[in-house]
Amino acid sequence: MKTVLILVLSLIGCSGSIDEPVSYFNVETPRPFGYVNGDEISQRIIIETRSGITLQTGSLPAKGPINRWLNLNQITVKQSGQRYQIDLRYQVFYAPLEVKVLTLPGFTVQLSQGEKSVGKSIPAWSFTLSPLRELVVRQTEQGEYLRPDSPPSIFANDRALYGLAASLSVAALITAYLGYLYACFPGMSRRTVFKRALRKLSGLSKADMELALTIIHHGINRLNGQPLFYKQLEDFYLRNPQYRQISAELAWFFNYSNRYFFAVGMIVVAQDLQQLKDLCERCRRIERGSQ
Amino acid sequence: MNTDIQLTDWRDKALQFEQQINQTVIGLQPAVRNIILAVFARGHVLLEGNVGVGKTTLLRAVAQGLGGDYQRIEGTIDLMPADLIYYTYLNDQGRPCVDPGPLLKHGDTLATFFFNEINRARPQVHALLLRAMAERSVNAFNRDYHFPHLQVFADRNRVEKEETFELPAAAKDRFMMEINIDMPTADAELDQLIFNPRFHDTDLLIADIHKHDIYDQLNELAQTVQQRIQTSPKLHAYALSLWKATHQPQQYGVQLADVDMPQLLMAGASPRGMGYLIRAAKTRAWLERREHVLPEDLQALFPVCMTHRLFLNPMYAYRKEQLLPELISGILNQVAAP
Repeated sequence: MKTVLILVLSLIGCSGSIDEPVSYFNVETPRPFGYVNGDEISQRIIIETRSGITLQTGSLPAKGPINRWLNLNQITVKQSGQRYQIDLRYQVFYAPLEVKVLTLPGFTVQLSQGEKSVGKSIPAWSFTLSPLRELVVRQTEQGEYLRPDSPPSIFANDRALYGLAASLSVAALITAYLGYLYACFPGMSRRTVFKRALRKLSGLSKADMELALTIIHHGINRLNGQPLFYKQLEDFYLRNPQYRQISAELAWFFNYSNRYFFAVGMIVVAQDLQQLKDLCERCRRIERGSQ
Repeated sequence: MNTDIQLTDWRDKALQFEQQINQTVIGLQPAVRNIILAVFARGHVLLEGNVGVGKTTLLRAVAQGLGGDYQRIEGTIDLMPADLIYYTYLNDQGRPCVDPGPLLKHGDTLATFFFNEINRARPQVHALLLRAMAERSVNAFNRDYHFPHLQVFADRNRVEKEETFELPAAAKDRFMMEINIDMPTADAELDQLIFNPRFHDTDLLIADIHKHDIYDQLNELAQTVQQRIQTSPKLHAYALSLWKATHQPQQYGVQLADVDMPQLLMAGASPRGMGYLIRAAKTRAWLERREHVLPEDLQALFPVCMTHRLFLNPMYAYRKEQLLPELISGILNQVAAP
């Protein structure tokens, strides 16, 4: 008999909770006092529903004026599984003459399962609103009673400014150096003569030996500022000492060029062209300052 | 005999000849090299330099080495063409006689004719000389005298300008080179010249030179050299550019200080002048043991072959000594090959 009684009571205990569509419900509200005209009030509603039951977001209040003194500025709904988090942000536009109790109106949200729906009411919430000033505006010895706040003091940002200036200076220096390396400045085209020569040399075959030699001659002449001949190489090295390291190659080039252009019966082999390209490559490295 | 071997033998002779002259006249190596080139290219030479620097000794040394006859004449203001061709005198019997003058008396063995102080002679004499130089012949006593091996050296003193006649352009153009003879600069050489008795007696000095007697073979040799030494199309283009640059240097980027370049020149190099330059360049290539002419040959000879052929506008003529060398080096520095 005792066992039957426990069973019946257990079944009764369980039966009610199964029918309830909301398994958890909470309204989180801020402090209910100390507000003034223009303040924003946030309210968070958390609803967890049973499985299969969904919140009808259309039943939530719409953004915009609720009544003559209350505005709903923002409403966001976050859903994670069966849990809904509704954030509401109201703004009060009421200028009370003394401390006054006001109420955020309640509303009902609709929960649905299939075609059935059930309402869940959100209770109204009361809070007190204070006036901004006394009823009668008075004059004080210090001056105007109604006056704006003193402007906020500015954070000391000298270090940041100095840091910015230093960073910009370093960046400008690096940019200038890069520009120098890549000969972006007018009048510095002498620093790209072999870059251009290399570009022209690529794709030439040994049949184009005359063109290849002429390209390098023009490059060297341009670097020298005037035509350079074999006998003037020593003067050239005095003016451009960085090229002395390839003096053997340059001597070979001038001798080869002399034989090619001015002697008879010169036979060109593919290796000669490669040697010319290597020479130009080395000149380019010297020109860039990387050798 | 194989021509190449002949040319090699001749080159050795030429270099030996040059070496001998350099031992006789010290400190003038560049000038000696140019004279050797002119001798083997068969060109006449104008010498310019101060007094007493060894011009005459140098020429006597060259004449002695080459062999053939050597004749020298001094330019004076009253010298007339007839004085070169004949002279009149009374013989032992008191009869008037006419004999060939200095130019004619050696006939076709005249190899070296030295006209000292040519700018003191009158233009009439210059005119006679023009023909002798260009055609290697003169007309006298109703017949032509030929001097197939003649090489004329003329000298002008640059210190004195009074009572002198500037050589006409046509006369200057017939000289292959104008060579400046400057005093040696090295102390050791100057010391030798002053204190070594060997240099005090010019006759003894000249007598030391071995007489090669090659004067009558030079024409043929020069012809062989001119035929054997090659010039490539690129060299032709380079020579052409140099030539054009002597007419319009501004088009080749030559710029001189305080000079309006288009106004600078009255006349550039003549075709004959360029021909001489190429002849001398081929001879230089041969002496340098090459079979082809290089731009460096032209560059080495361009100043001596061209300076006396460029005529400046009178506006700039008074700065000639400064402008002409600058112009020549400007042209050489601006014209590229290839």
